[in-house]
Amino acid sequence: MISVHSAAKPVRALGDFFALAADTMMLIPRRPFAGREFILQTWFVARVSLVPTLMLSIPFTVLTVFTLNVLLLEFGAGDFSGSGAALAAVTQIGPLVSVLVVAGAGATAMCADLGSRTIREELDALRVLGINPVQALVVPRVLAATLVSLLLSGVVIVTGLVGGFGFSVFVQNVTPGSFVAGITLLTGAPELGIALVKAGLFGLTASLLACYKGISVGGGPAAVGNAVNETVVYSFVSLFVINVIVTAVGIKATA
Amino acid sequence: MTLSVAGPRFPGLTHRLDGWVAGWRRIGAQARFYAKTLGAMWEALVYYRGETLRMIAQMGLGTGALAMIGGTVGIVGFLTLTAGSLVTIQGYSSLSDIGVEALTGFVSAYVNGRIVTPLTAVISLSATIGAGTTAQLGAMRINEEIDALEVMGIRSVAYLASTRVIAGVIVVIPLYCIAVWMSFTSARFATTVYYGQATGIYDHYFSTFLQPSDILWSLFQAVLMGFVVMLVHTYYGFTASGGPAGVGEAVGRAVRTSLIAAVFVILFASLAIYGQSGNFQFSGA
Repeated sequence: MISVHSAAKPVRALGDFFALAADTMMLIPRRPFAGREFILQTWFVARVSLVPTLMLSIPFTVLTVFTLNVLLLEFGAGDFSGSGAALAAVTQIGPLVSVLVVAGAGATAMCADLGSRTIREELDALRVLGINPVQALVVPRVLAATLVSLLLSGVVIVTGLVGGFGFSVFVQNVTPGSFVAGITLLTGAPELGIALVKAGLFGLTASLLACYKGISVGGGPAAVGNAVNETVVYSFVSLFVINVIVTAVGIKATA
Repeated sequence: MTLSVAGPRFPGLTHRLDGWVAGWRRIGAQARFYAKTLGAMWEALVYYRGETLRMIAQMGLGTGALAMIGGTVGIVGFLTLTAGSLVTIQGYSSLSDIGVEALTGFVSAYVNGRIVTPLTAVISLSATIGAGTTAQLGAMRINEEIDALEVMGIRSVAYLASTRVIAGVIVVIPLYCIAVWMSFTSARFATTVYYGQATGIYDHYFSTFLQPSDILWSLFQAVLMGFVVMLVHTYYGFTASGGPAGVGEAVGRAVRTSLIAAVFVILFASLAIYGQSGNFQFSGA
């Protein structure tokens, strides 16, 4: 019996996660909407994410642009470095970096916060008061993380393009005019749309995982730490999977 | 009895200055902790060999729920697998726009080896080994287990931090080999099976343009980022405060900081390695 129980545990956790996700989706249009919590959470996630986003997006793009330019300059195609930089920044680095930060900074803090509330039995207290914790706490957090992740991906793309321009032009001596002209060669509105869809999906998944892990914590401080650790791992894994799927679907759809 | 103390003349400015000073102090404290951890590594190897071995075993396989989905090995392998196939999906379609999809093998050899695998590996290392270490050490700090160790006369930095840094750096080497293998294999699989390119074409361009020294240098980068990730994560775990929520926040802060630090390390290492010549031969090796 014990073996059956332990074998069913991961399956049950998966089911619980999807149940929470469904509950959250159902409760989004339901009144009363926790507007104040939503604004506070949006502000919080944006505040903890903005500086790390800038600090991560600059090295990511400079590294990519540098490696691509070594190649392009070897071919004598340095004029196309703008195309490569734009393709990398818009399709991959923008959504990826924004979610790394939203998952690493925002979702971990959400999970820690909800987890400590759970072990202090505050969520049970909310239920006793007739307040649905999913509606009061999870819905605003999920919406906030999704919105901030969408907005941050724009910041990352702009930072990436500016950083790539600076590095290409001032360090690797690419002509500025041809860099700018090349930006729109491979990357257009469809790519930008896919990037935004990706960023939104990533933020949604990371925050749902964080809230699920936070609500289902049991035990002491070590359990909260482990829950945060699992949030990071699961959200990074799921974002890589979503990235592959959305990229493949997007390429098929726009081709 | 209440005492009234004269407030500072410029409260806003004083507050901001205090913030600056606290930031500098924190950087100093981190540098001191890192020096102490690195300096105590020989103690860990001499006195706490058993603990070091236990850490290596634990980090390779992971603990708790993470061990169930394949542990650190499984997660690193899975992330690099998806990253490798992503390079193919994006690279193949972009190359076939200009009619040279035959060069996908070249893109895989070049981009996977130099950027994608190191970056993916650092993300997964920080998420698995790193975050796990912070959570573990943070819980020990909150439960005052670290103070108990010191009372018992055990050198806590050597016993807890240095052993973990050594273990992390040792575990990085086989993990990174798996990561490289996974990303190359998945790129080949996606190109030849999913897109149906002839394996001969792929292998030809792949082996023509694969630079063995690139892979060795990226292994060197992996060891460097192993050091950075483990040092940052042990520091944040060691200095966690503020109850259960504090442990969680420390994990988040550690993941953020170590990602930034390690990506900068990769960037500067790449600029130092490839900056002068580019180490790229069009004609192949």
